Amino acid sequence: MNWAPIVLTLKLAGLTALILVAVGMPIAYWLTYSRWRWKFLAESVVALPLVLPPTVLGFYVLVAVGPKSPLGQGYQALVGHPLAFTFEGLLFASVLYSLPFAVQPFASAFGSVDPKLVEASWTLGISRLATFLRVTLPLSAAGVVTGVVLSFAHTMGEFGVVLMVGGNIPGVTRTVSIDIYDEVQALNYAGAAETALVLLIFSFVVLSVVYALNRNMWVVWPMR
Amino acid sequence: MADEMTADFEKRYNGGPTIRAALGLPVGRSHVTVLFGPSGAGKTTVLRCLAGLERPERGRVRFASETWVDTDVGVMAPPQARGVGYLFQDYALFPHLTVAGNITYAIHDLDSRERRVRLDEMIRLLRLEGLEDRRPAQLSGGQQQRVALARVLARRPRLLLLDEPLSALDAPTREQLRGELRALLRGQRMPTLCVTHDWVEALTLADQVAVMAGGRILQTGSPDSVFSRPANAEVAAIVGVETVTAGKVVGRQDGLAAFDVAGKQLWAVEASGKGEEFYLCIRAEDVILEIGAQPSSSARNHLAGRVTDVRPAGPVSRVAVDCGFALTALVTRQAAQDLDLKPGTLVTATVKASAIHLIPR
Repeated sequence: MNWAPIVLTLKLAGLTALILVAVGMPIAYWLTYSRWRWKFLAESVVALPLVLPPTVLGFYVLVAVGPKSPLGQGYQALVGHPLAFTFEGLLFASVLYSLPFAVQPFASAFGSVDPKLVEASWTLGISRLATFLRVTLPLSAAGVVTGVVLSFAHTMGEFGVVLMVGGNIPGVTRTVSIDIYDEVQALNYAGAAETALVLLIFSFVVLSVVYALNRNMWVVWPMR
Repeated sequence: MADEMTADFEKRYNGGPTIRAALGLPVGRSHVTVLFGPSGAGKTTVLRCLAGLERPERGRVRFASETWVDTDVGVMAPPQARGVGYLFQDYALFPHLTVAGNITYAIHDLDSRERRVRLDEMIRLLRLEGLEDRRPAQLSGGQQQRVALARVLARRPRLLLLDEPLSALDAPTREQLRGELRALLRGQRMPTLCVTHDWVEALTLADQVAVMAGGRILQTGSPDSVFSRPANAEVAAIVGVETVTAGKVVGRQDGLAAFDVAGKQLWAVEASGKGEEFYLCIRAEDVILEIGAQPSSSARNHLAGRVTDVRPAGPVSRVAVDCGFALTALVTRQAAQDLDLKPGTLVTATVKASAIHLIPR
C-alpha cells in the first residue's frame, strides 16, 4: 500500500479548504451584501470553475504560474524556485478550482440570515465585523461547514487540473487520483483498487460525520 | 435651553413615493411621539432614516448638538454611532442566543459584575424572571416583545424608536401590554418615536401625535387635538374617530362611570374599573342630534349645545357642535336640511353610554 499519495492529497485538500475559509468568506460576504450593479460579473467569475473543463482551467493556471508570467516571475524572485510543478502551484490551482464550492454555500448561508438581525445588531452599536462574527457567522454555521466539506471533497478528487498544473511528481504533486490513473495505466489493478477503496471509505466517513452533525443540512448543492 | 432633536428630510424610492418628514422631539426626558397612519404611509421609513439604516436623499437630522445627517455636507452617521434603541416590528431577537444573551448582547464592554447588575435590572423591569436561559423560539409573543425591549434598554439609548411595538401580538395580550408599555415609557428618561396604525395605541401612548399618509406628515399636535380637530378631510378620514376629549371620573355606578368633561357630566360603560383620567372617544355616527333643549335622563347622555359648523361630505353632513367641548356628529344631508342645521342652531346631542370608548391616559 502506497500511502504517500494519500497523505499528499489529504494535505492538499486540507490546506485548500483552510485557505478557502479565509478567502471565500470575504468574497461571499461581499457577494451577499454588495449592491454594485455589475456584481453579476463577479458572481460569474466565481462560478466559472463549475462549468469550465478542468483542462481549460489547468491550462490557464499553468500559463499564469509559468516562468514567463508576472505571477510566476514574482513568486520565483520572492521564494527562489518556480511555482509551476510544485505543491504550492498545485495548491493555488486547487483553491481556484474549488472556489465556487466554498463561496456559494457561504453566500447562500449569509443571505438566508434575516437582515433585520444584522440591522438590529448595528443599531445596538455593534460594529459590522463584530456583527458578522457574533450574528451572521453563528447563524450560517451549517452553510459554512457545507462549504468546507464540499471544497475539501472536491479537492480530494481533482484530476485534470492536477495533471495540467502539477504534473506527476511523487511526494510533491502526485495525488491519489493521479496515482490510481498511473496504476491502471501500468495494468496494476490490485494497487489501483486498494487506493481507490481507501479514498472511497475516507470520503464516505467524512461526509457521514458532517451530515450527522448537521442533521437539518441535507442540501448537498445549495443554490441561491 | 432645553435640548432638542430635529429631523427634516426626504427619502426617495425608485418608482415609489417620496417620503418627507419634519419632526421635533425633546431630548433627555420621557416624551412619546406617535407616528400614526395607514400602512404604506412611510412611517417605518422615517424610523429607519433616524436609526441610520436608510440614507435620506436630502435633509438634516440633528440630535442635541450632534449632526446625524446633513446631506449638504455629506454627513451620515452610521447606526452604531447614534445610540438609538430600535424595536423591530417582529422584534428581531437573536435566535442562537438565550434571553440573557440577547439582553446583554450590546453591553459586552461592561465588566461582568456590572453586566450582571444591568441584566438583573432589565429582568426585573420587564418581568422576565425565570426566562433567562430560554431561547426566543421558546417564548410567547408578549415575552419576546419584552425581551426585545430589555435588549434595547439595557444599553441605555438616547432615543427609542418603536416600529408597531404591539402589532405582532394577539388581541388580549396587546390589550394588556399597551398599558404596561405606556408605564414603561413614562419611566424612561428619553424620547420615543413610536409607529402605529392603531388609534387606541396612539391615544394610549402619545404625548404628541403626527399623522402621516402618502409619505407626508399631515398634522402634528396633542392626541385630543389631532383626533378631535383634524386639520383637513384627509386627516379626519385617517384618524376615523371624530371626538376625543379628556375627562375625569367623578362617580361610578352599576358598571358605568360618570365623567366630568368641561363642566358637563357624561356616562360611559367602563370595562376595567381602574384609573381616573381617560380620553373619551365618540364616533360621529353615534351622535344623535335633536332641535332645542331636551329633558335629561340618567341612562343617556343629553348634551345641550350650539352648532358651529355644517360641512357636507358626500351623502352625509359633518356637524360640529359646541357643548362645552367640541363634539362632531354625522347626519344625513336630508336630516340636516329637515332640522335646518346651521351655525348658531341650538341642539341637543344624545350619545349612548356604550358608544363612548374609554382610553386610559
